[in-house]
Amino acid sequence: MGLGFIVGVFGVLILSHAAYSTIQYRGLLKIMEEEFSGPPMNVVLELLLGFVFCIWAALTVPGNFHSIHPDSEENRIVSLSANLDFMIFNHRAKAFPLEIEMKLKH
Amino acid sequence: MISKTEESQLNRLENQVDNGGGGAWEYLCLVRKLKVRRSEKVLKHGLSILNDAKQRSALGPEEWTLYEQLALAAMDCHCPDVAKDCIKVLQKKFPESKRVGRLEGMLLEAKGSWAEAEKAYSSLLEDNPLDQVIHKRRVAMAKAQGNVSGAIEWLNKYLEIFMADHDAWRELAEIYVSLQMYKQAAFCYEELILSQPTVPLFHLAYADVLYTLSGLENLQTAKKYYASTIDLTGGRNTRALLGICLCTSAIAQLSKGRNKEDKESPELQSLAATALEKDYKQRASDKLSLLTSALRSLKI
Repeated sequence: MGLGFIVGVFGVLILSHAAYSTIQYRGLLKIMEEEFSGPPMNVVLELLLGFVFCIWAALTVPGNFHSIHPDSEENRIVSLSANLDFMIFNHRAKAFPLEIEMKLKH
Repeated sequence: MISKTEESQLNRLENQVDNGGGGAWEYLCLVRKLKVRRSEKVLKHGLSILNDAKQRSALGPEEWTLYEQLALAAMDCHCPDVAKDCIKVLQKKFPESKRVGRLEGMLLEAKGSWAEAEKAYSSLLEDNPLDQVIHKRRVAMAKAQGNVSGAIEWLNKYLEIFMADHDAWRELAEIYVSLQMYKQAAFCYEELILSQPTVPLFHLAYADVLYTLSGLENLQTAKKYYASTIDLTGGRNTRALLGICLCTSAIAQLSKGRNKEDKESPELQSLAATALEKDYKQRASDKLSLLTSALRSLKI
């Protein structure tokens, strides 16, 4: 979790540095009065690198993903809840009293 | 509806608490959330929390829910004194409360004084004639006294008003099955499947009822519902796999004389048989020979 977090922060920093370089490059082009066709090559590389770092961090930091299939091993329904609204009390457990005397002490 | 992860979590917490490893409050919350009926354990661990003044004060306002849960568990384990004490505490805190009135009615039920419980419930219903839980308690009381036809009557009246209550439909289906009125039980299961189509256990119960009713169309529909159960549980429900094998052989027996075009392909039965054998080999390999001989006799 620590490594993923650091990589994520690093990726965000790279992306912001790439944004800053592009803004500076545009300012430079305005001075030289040329058309802005696209950011320079190294900024594009920096963007891709930052993107890869951020995606990797986003997938590793949250931990294990839960399955969404209703028939997967974890999500499958194994039993229904006991119908407690219709619970009746005169069942055979009356013949098996509890061994320990239970009392509410106050 | 309890999923496999929730069940394993419950068992793990139960083991932990039973062996003295703390976590009683989480266990009680999980039991309340999943609505399972583990009254002895709830009674034991709930009393251990409530008898300890420090733990009791740490609960804060959740204390009263624990008292209610404990009262129900005590009634289920036949300790009416504990239940009476819990209800007294709740009455002191919440006088004139309907929930506490309901608990008192249930205590009278548990003690066996049916007439007084009936009086208590009727008086509660006068103030609030549309209280669902009290209606359901009346049905439960009729069932407990052995008056099953009365229970069915009350339950039908209840379902005319509250048609969306799937617990009530489930209860009615189970009562009909116990009385062998399978057509009516099939109707109730159809209602359940309509309202909750993703719960495989209703499909399974419906298929069981249809298989019991027998007759060619019923068997074919039962086979379809066994197949949908297998689909919804990822192939892990042994009963549905066996159901497919039994249905196919019953259909083959019934349509032996007729020269219908053979649209029943034997693939489904052989697939189900293979899946069953694999499952048995993994989980109960000493019973595998029983299974293979039973399947062989079905294929004839």
